[in-house]
Amino acid sequence: MAEIEIKSEIAGKVWLIEAGVGQTVEEDDAVIILESMKMEIPVAAPVSGKITEILVEKDEAVAEGQTVARMEG
Amino acid sequence: MGWNDHIQEHERRIAKARAMGSPKRLAERSEAGNLNARQRIEALLDPGSFHESGLFAVSRQPDMADRSPADGVVDGYGRIDGREVIVCAQDFTTLGSSSAVNNGRKSMKMWQTAEKNGVPFVYLSECSGARIPDIMGAVGMGSIGEGFIFSRRRLVPWADAVLGMSFGGGTWVASVSDFVVMRKGAVMAVTSPRVNTVAISEQIDPEEMGGWRVQTEITGKADMAVDSDEEALQAVRNYLSYLPSNCEELPPMADVPTGSGDEANRILDLVPEERRRTYDVRKVIRLIVDRDSMFPIKERFGRSLVTCLARIQGRTVGIIANNPMFKGGALDVDSCDKATSFIATCDSFNVPLIFLADVPGFLIGVEGEHKKVPGKIMNFMQALELATVPVLSVVMRKSYGQAYINMGGGRSDEMACWFTADISFVDPAVAASIVTGLDPKTEPERFAAAVEDYSLGCSPYDLAGQYMAHDVIDPRDTRQWLARMLEAHQRRRTGGIGAHHMQSWPFTY
Repeated sequence: MAEIEIKSEIAGKVWLIEAGVGQTVEEDDAVIILESMKMEIPVAAPVSGKITEILVEKDEAVAEGQTVARMEG
Repeated sequence: MGWNDHIQEHERRIAKARAMGSPKRLAERSEAGNLNARQRIEALLDPGSFHESGLFAVSRQPDMADRSPADGVVDGYGRIDGREVIVCAQDFTTLGSSSAVNNGRKSMKMWQTAEKNGVPFVYLSECSGARIPDIMGAVGMGSIGEGFIFSRRRLVPWADAVLGMSFGGGTWVASVSDFVVMRKGAVMAVTSPRVNTVAISEQIDPEEMGGWRVQTEITGKADMAVDSDEEALQAVRNYLSYLPSNCEELPPMADVPTGSGDEANRILDLVPEERRRTYDVRKVIRLIVDRDSMFPIKERFGRSLVTCLARIQGRTVGIIANNPMFKGGALDVDSCDKATSFIATCDSFNVPLIFLADVPGFLIGVEGEHKKVPGKIMNFMQALELATVPVLSVVMRKSYGQAYINMGGGRSDEMACWFTADISFVDPAVAASIVTGLDPKTEPERFAAAVEDYSLGCSPYDLAGQYMAHDVIDPRDTRQWLARMLEAHQRRRTGGIGAHHMQSWPFTY
């Protein structure tokens, strides 16, 4: 099991946190949903695995490339 | 010397030339699950169709002639799906298929013949770089300099499969090809890690320098990555099936698979009516095109925009679609480059373009500006303006600002809007914020009223009312509309052959 960083590919504001620590997710499942460009933009799991850490809070500003969560996959 | 002696000597020479490198090296490849150059050609071409050119070529260096069968590159003529192609396969087991004077002469002859005769050129890259004895010294450098001419125009399709370590010549060819597929584990770079280490004292991991993730996700130079040689060669066959043999021909028509378009009604389940919500446009495309005909190009690069070849009623089309699943579908530097190169390829080979728009705008900001986003947007626009193939566009949901124009707004032979389309300069909420300065948190009612004001006049019927959209359609009718408009907009005066203004555009931006 490798530790994998889940990064936002766009700047925005955290609108929803969809997955919790310990939750199992599939590749491309939304972990966080950002509000950006007047859109609800998912930050998706890059692989299937288990979420180990959520690093942001609701309404927090996120930069492009920022790690928003970690997972094992 | 009698005839038998001649025959035996001839057969001995053929066997030696076909044997490639040492049995040990060939066995190592086989154990690793990788094909050798001749096996690759067999897997690529129709059975029994290969006719070799240059079997008896060897190194120019007399002391290397005996151990350089075919001078490390297997070249020749063959067929894919019954259509003539020219292929060059680098034989890594022979001197690392290093670039040298005689194998350079072979490759040049092959790609010039492909262009002269109007047949696709396929290159199978695996190359250790330049061959030091050949290229060293003034005469060596001069010979190589004379031998390699890179002035490629998009006259015939070029497809390159990068199937191992590929440096120097193998990478140059890939860099000017229309389609590049990499086997995972292969590397494409200017020089080997060893040369890099000597030159700049940097220890380099080859995968990090030019592995499949780098080339498919960061540079976009590779269009696809697959797990095996066989899959890569099949990808080349598939790619060429969409294209004509040369720029003066039309793409071949294919049979329409049973069941194509049968699930068009599912579009309404896939696309959320609420424009803030995202979805994966690739699923929509699959419902619109002929069944199983979607062939993605650069799927891992600039992912907010999908580019793919596909067929509608058996006819090849190039589709450019915003994908709200990534970055909300906003166009960034990479997606602009991706659109530009795709338009240049499609236009050069008479492939009609279809735009599917659902775009909140360009991704603006400091980083984009530092990466020359204005120039990228205009490159994209310039490519669209220069295209002479039929251009159809469908506005699915929102389409705002300059991105509306880049996605074919006002630049298409025929444009339809779904009844869900929403066309304006910016999102109404952005306009309300900019113009009124109202804060939605402190004055929600006034802000909502301002948004309502700026939402007026954005409907597809407003656009169609001025005949700036030519139709408003039910999303479920998209396939039928496209199929009919592809027929209507065939360029009959020229037999469908375009002017190809982008034939000599660069291959990297």
